[in-house]
Amino acid sequence: MRNGYRIAFVVTVAAFAAVSFFTTASMTKAQKKGGFSHATAAHKKQECGSCHKNPTANWVTARGFPDVADFPGHVACFACHKSDFFAGNKPAICAGCHVNPGPRGAGRFPFPASNRQHEFSTIFPHSVHQDIIASNVTRPPVAVAHYVMASFTRTPLPLFDDKPPTFNNCAICHQTRTALPKSVPRIPAAMQPLADPAADDFAPKPGFFRDLPQGHASCFTCHFQGIKPAGTDCASCHKLTTPYTDTNEVKRYSLKFDHQQKDHSARDCMTCHVRISQNADLRTMKDADVPFMACASCHNHGDDLAKEVAKRNETAAAKQPAFQCTYCHTPAIGRFPVPASHQGR
Amino acid sequence: MLLVLLAPLGSTRAEAQNLGAIEISGRAKIGTKIEKITRKRFYLFRGGLEANRAMLDRVKASAGVSRDCFYCRAKASPEYIAWLKAENCESPFCREITADDITKVPEFQAAYQKGLKQFRGKTDIAQKWVTTNLPPELRDGFYRQEKTLLDTLLAGAKPLQSSMTDIVTIKAIFIDIALTAGKTSETFLISNLVPIEIGGKGYVWACELPNGPNAKPTTLQPTFPVVNKSGQKCEVYVRDLPVCAGGSCEAK
Repeated sequence: MRNGYRIAFVVTVAAFAAVSFFTTASMTKAQKKGGFSHATAAHKKQECGSCHKNPTANWVTARGFPDVADFPGHVACFACHKSDFFAGNKPAICAGCHVNPGPRGAGRFPFPASNRQHEFSTIFPHSVHQDIIASNVTRPPVAVAHYVMASFTRTPLPLFDDKPPTFNNCAICHQTRTALPKSVPRIPAAMQPLADPAADDFAPKPGFFRDLPQGHASCFTCHFQGIKPAGTDCASCHKLTTPYTDTNEVKRYSLKFDHQQKDHSARDCMTCHVRISQNADLRTMKDADVPFMACASCHNHGDDLAKEVAKRNETAAAKQPAFQCTYCHTPAIGRFPVPASHQGR
Repeated sequence: MLLVLLAPLGSTRAEAQNLGAIEISGRAKIGTKIEKITRKRFYLFRGGLEANRAMLDRVKASAGVSRDCFYCRAKASPEYIAWLKAENCESPFCREITADDITKVPEFQAAYQKGLKQFRGKTDIAQKWVTTNLPPELRDGFYRQEKTLLDTLLAGAKPLQSSMTDIVTIKAIFIDIALTAGKTSETFLISNLVPIEIGGKGYVWACELPNGPNAKPTTLQPTFPVVNKSGQKCEVYVRDLPVCAGGSCEAK
């Protein structure tokens, strides 16, 4: 009898082990690691809303506004992955959402998990939104950036000839930064530098930069429901892409540009950010957002730029080390050949 | 004052191309009065008036609906229409909807109350997101109507670019305009296509601009009646817009 119980026990354990083994063997690589991939053939077929609910039940505490603020519940996975849930004491599938996989491990990672690669790029057509929110002038308390649409011809300030109207503007999504981002020079493509960068102690301040929306807060103000794409139509804004890690680096040709400088802050975003206002998909934007003529409209009147170009030409003619343009640029950029856009103005 | 500036631009990208830029300043002279054309979109096409005649014929034949008439037909309250008119807005997305606006405009109040229920009593969300609970016609109906009209007028044609005039300098800008390979001079057409409302009438300007790499800045003021200056030629199509009276819109 005792032997019978022993045999039954061993057979039962062996059966569970066999189930675990074969279940694990059939899992994808991502699942074995506990990760989740949106790009598998089976997942790609699903509608986003079949798993992700908007809003999730925890939105009040997690976000303060209706949002997708949590992982999908078990029901979203169970239909296809039932056996994975019982694969061993710490099923690998649980690690996709749970900090401590296992029957008692209720704690989940923050959503979205910041330590994972992004699988989606975000499409935002600035061109379409310009019709709605581009042109604006906010009532200007001193020292707060107000946006005035100006042209490439120099226009004296103040620019209002009557009471400034109040409209929505780019600042709905792009606020002045209060913390310094990691900024790197945007190296011109297909160009070789003329010299090593000269020593430079330039240090930008947070106010030089504007930030990007990091979540749905600004989008859902209009697009939560009704306006297409609505908040449940994730795929209209989020496109599957090769997984990447966001460096959060700000790349600029002109790190020295200060958005908060009074003559800059008095102008409208569109004065300089011309290309973006006509862009429907940032992924297609190859050139700098700000065309050179936007800068030259103000900064060439005192021969600021012409002087530097002339100095560069002098050093080249004299076969001296190339003069590095630092009026607008840090030496990391100023050491490159003068592009055609800078010539002849 | 329509100011046209075409200046060839070089850039690393465009060394093999001639790139142009056009600056449009919209201060229309209607009769003897200067009207500011602000926050209105202009479209750039290759070719002049005759090359784009089919499209311009469609523009001439189209009937426009004024903003006020649209919202009148949509049964918007006088307060709603007044809110739009106050800052010459075409939609509720134009500017911030304040708590005061919510108390004064019935549609905002109704949307706010809906939002309070939907967003678990959070007054800040109900206010900030008030447009998400507006009826579709009032929310973006006018924009959709204008978009439908534009698509009909274009009939598959694709403008090279479009750009909006601003509210202070009243100018719009086209840049990175590539001339056809091998050409040093080319004619472009600029038009607003969708009628611009001025004083109860809808105006569409269509101006052709011949230019070359050495073109000097020229000034063209959209006028009615049209006054053409050297090298530039404009047509303007004017139509009386229906007026909202007693809740319905009758053609003038």
